[in-house]
Amino acid sequence: MIYIVDDDIVMAKCIARACGEREVRIFGNAIETMEAISSGELPDLMFLDILLIGPDGFTLLNEMVSYTDTARVPVVLVTSLEMAERDLSNYGVVGVLEKETMKPEDVKRYAWQFA
Amino acid sequence: MVKEVDGVMVVAHELKAPLAVLRQLALSFGELGAQDEHIRAEMISVSERAMRQVNDLTKIRKLDEGLFEMEPVAVRAVCDDVTHELQCLFKENCRELNIKYTNRAKLVNANWELLHSVVYNFLLNAMYYAEEGRAELTVGDTKGKVRIMIRDFGPALPIGIWREMKKGRIEQPVSIAMRPGSSGLGLYIASRFSRYMGATVGAVRHRDGASFYVELPVSKQASLF
Repeated sequence: MIYIVDDDIVMAKCIARACGEREVRIFGNAIETMEAISSGELPDLMFLDILLIGPDGFTLLNEMVSYTDTARVPVVLVTSLEMAERDLSNYGVVGVLEKETMKPEDVKRYAWQFA
Repeated sequence: MVKEVDGVMVVAHELKAPLAVLRQLALSFGELGAQDEHIRAEMISVSERAMRQVNDLTKIRKLDEGLFEMEPVAVRAVCDDVTHELQCLFKENCRELNIKYTNRAKLVNANWELLHSVVYNFLLNAMYYAEEGRAELTVGDTKGKVRIMIRDFGPALPIGIWREMKKGRIEQPVSIAMRPGSSGLGLYIASRFSRYMGATVGAVRHRDGASFYVELPVSKQASLF
């Protein structure tokens, strides 16, 4: 299962399409995502936008890293912020995709690797 | 105290998101025929160029914060990078780009990102105004500096703009009436970035077009190599 967290539904659907046959769930904000995780469903991979409506992506990352099970979920940040030089591996971040330059193959690669 | 919102930065972010989505949608199509593939490539190219301009505008806002470090930059590498990026666009528009390097000084004191934008904006303008189907990029030495010059063969440059450029600065985007479609934004961006780097921009008027150039100080670290 792949979680896609992005308040831009069109962008989220583009990412979902690139995931191919993988099962995906799309969330528009961090609260809904945490609620889904709290219900016991752990994703194999999460594509996470940073600038979300309400609590942002970093808040969600902080929340996830504070529990042993969710801390292990690999997260790929999908953002238009300049993040390349920041080391976020302690937050389970396995990669950063820049919205301006990313390609469907980049998404596919992570989906194949982790989900 | 209410923190003042920077309108340009807000607008830039609001523009970047839909442009990134449009690009992503274009990339989402499956296999296409040759003609549709061409349209897809155009969509991607247009959205990427628009995002680049939005990014340049946000960089102008950040200049005052001094976030762009100056360093020795290999000037030919920057030009190679830009020409490689724009080569497809030139080809698609049936334009030829001639490149000539004669500079002996290899390193200039600049910021890679900003210099890249300066050359990119000049070359993009030249592409639009390459009426004879060609543009020229030359890099040479001049009085302890390196000059990157981009020549186009479009309409003549109005003398008012030429005078402004001679003063070494363009304070705001000025539409160049004799050059249809030009908002002057590229020149403005190039002028602001050049000033930050301690470089100068200028223009040469020709009867059949114009040359825009940027002169950069040679990096003193060059002597160490």
